[in-house]
Amino acid sequence: MTARCYLQLDVFADRPGAGNPLGVVFDASDLEADAMQAYAAWANLSETIFFLPPTAAEADYRVRIFTPRQELSFAGHPSVGAAWAALDSGLAQAKEGLLVQECAAGLLPVRIEQRNAMRLVHVRAPQAREVLTGGAHTDGLASALQGLPLGELAPVLWNNGPSWWLVELADAAAVRAMQPNLSAIAALTMASNAVGLAVFGRTDDSDHDLAARAYCPADGIPEDPVTGSANASIAALLHHAGALPGADRPGPYRRYIASQGREIGRNGRVEVQVDHENEVWIGGQVQAVIRGSVDW
Amino acid sequence: MTSRRYVQLDVFADRPGAGNPLAVVLDAEGLDDATMQAIARWTRLPETTFVFPATKSEASYGIRIFSPRREVPFAGHPSVGTAHAVLEAGLATPRDGLLVQDGIAGLLPLHVIGSGATRTIAVRTPRAKVMEIASPQDARLHDVLDALPLGNLPPALMDGGRRWWLAELRDEAALRAATPPWEAIGKLAQETESMGMCVFARSDNPVYFLAVRAWVGAPAQFEDAASGAANATLAAWLASQNALPGSDGRYRISQGREVGYDAIIELQVDGEGEVWSGGRICNVVTGRIDW
Repeated sequence: MTARCYLQLDVFADRPGAGNPLGVVFDASDLEADAMQAYAAWANLSETIFFLPPTAAEADYRVRIFTPRQELSFAGHPSVGAAWAALDSGLAQAKEGLLVQECAAGLLPVRIEQRNAMRLVHVRAPQAREVLTGGAHTDGLASALQGLPLGELAPVLWNNGPSWWLVELADAAAVRAMQPNLSAIAALTMASNAVGLAVFGRTDDSDHDLAARAYCPADGIPEDPVTGSANASIAALLHHAGALPGADRPGPYRRYIASQGREIGRNGRVEVQVDHENEVWIGGQVQAVIRGSVDW
Repeated sequence: MTSRRYVQLDVFADRPGAGNPLAVVLDAEGLDDATMQAIARWTRLPETTFVFPATKSEASYGIRIFSPRREVPFAGHPSVGTAHAVLEAGLATPRDGLLVQDGIAGLLPLHVIGSGATRTIAVRTPRAKVMEIASPQDARLHDVLDALPLGNLPPALMDGGRRWWLAELRDEAALRAATPPWEAIGKLAQETESMGMCVFARSDNPVYFLAVRAWVGAPAQFEDAASGAANATLAAWLASQNALPGSDGRYRISQGREVGYDAIIELQVDGEGEVWSGGRICNVVTGRIDW
C-alpha cells in the first residue's frame, strides 16, 4: 500500500459543488489496471483518472480514465480535469497555451486560456456525425418527447464516441421545466444504442446562451449534472445547421456558454468553441475541492 | 470558502476496498444543512458525516449523517467510521474505552477496542425485537425460500428500527451459491413493510463464524455489501434462540463477497442483551476539503 497524491476536482464549475466531480490519482505507474478499476468502483465518482508517465514523445502527460464499471478511451470532463491537475501539480507546463494529453484514444490537444485570475481548459472533442436511423425510432422518440414543446431543429441521433439523441426544445424555460419520462427515454436509448438523450434550448439570459440537460437512465444515471460529450454533439449539430448561438460575437472562434445541472442542484457552465477547422472544443473552469493523499 | 480536514474511509474492512465507503468532514462548524446536503450529494458515497464539537458534557463529539439525498438520523457504519476519524484526528479520547456520539438520534456509545491497525470500533445498535417466527411454508415466504436449502432455525421477522426477515441456510457453500429471487424479495418487502431478506449460514472458516447476505427488496432491489443494521437484528435473533456462535457473545461475520466486497463485521451481545456492531476501518483518502 502506497500513499499517492490525490485530488478531487469539480469540473465545469465556477464554485465548489456546481459541476461534475472527478477523482485524480497521481503517480499511478505501479498500479495494475484491476487495482485502478477497483478504486474507481469504490470511489463511485462518475470518473476517476490515474496519471502515468507518457509513452509518446509529444505528450506532456498520460492518463487512464475509469468509470465505476469500465475504462474509457476518452471523456470530456475527465480530460478538462486532467489538464488542470497536470498544470496545478507542476507535472506539465503549457507551451504557447497548449498541452498534449495521451490517453487510450491517442494524443489529444488541450488549450489553456488565462482570463485574469481564471484558468480555462478546453479539450478538442472527437468529430461528431449524424447517425442515420431511417425513421426506425419514430415511435420511441414520440413517447420519450410526448408533451414537450419542440424547437426548430428536428430531433436527431449524433455520435462523437458515445451516441446522443439531441432534441431542441422551444426555449431554455422549456428545458428547465422538463419532467423527463425516464422509462420512455431508457427504452429509446437502449433500442438505438445511445448513451442518453440531451435537450437544449436558447435563451437571451446575459449569463449563458443555451440551457441543456442530459438523461442516461439506461446507464443508471437518471440525469447527468454536466456533460462534455453531449454539449460537444449539440455544438456540432448547431454548427452544421448554421444555428450556433453568439455568431456575431467578436473573437477568433465562435463560442457560446451552455448552462447545465441547475435542476439537480448544480450549476455547471460549459464553454463551447468551434474553430476555423470546424472542430468543437469543450472547456470550463475547475475547482480543487479535496486535496490530500490516497492509500490503496 | 473554508478549508476543513477530510477523510474517506473504508468501514468493516481489513484492507482498502473490502468494506463500506464513508466520507467524513471534520471541523464542520459553520456548515449549514443545505451545504452539508450539497457536499453529501457531491461525494457520491453512501453516507457523508460531519463532525462538530460536543455541546453536552456526556458527549465526545457531535455528528450529522447525510446520504446523497437526505439526512439520516442514525446508521451503523457511518457512526463506526466517524469515531475512527475523530480518534485519528485527536478530536476526542475514549473514557473507559467508550466514545459517546451526539446525533439526531441522541447520545450513543461506541466501544473502542485495541489500538493501531487492529483497532476495532463498535456502536451500540437500537434494541431489536422478534416480530414473528414463521414457517418456511408460509405463503409470503414461499417464493423467496423455495429454492434455498434451509438450516435449523425457522425464518423470523425482526424489528430493530428497520425490519428484516432472517433465514438460516444449510451451509456456507449453499449461501454463497444462492441466486436472489428478486421479484419475490421485492414482493415480500412490500407486503411486510420490511427491508427484505437476510440469509445466513454457519461457517468453519477460522476468521468468521457466519456468512451473511442481505437482499434489499424495496424500494430498489440490491444486495447490501456490509449491513450493520441487518447483522445487529441477526445477533438479537440468535441470542433469543440461544444460538449465538463464538464465545462470550462475540463473533465475526463475512458479507459482501458476492457483490465484489469482502467485509468483516464483529458482533457482540453483552450481559445486558445489548448488541454492538463494529469492525476495523481503513484510511483511504486523507486531506482537506475546500467548500
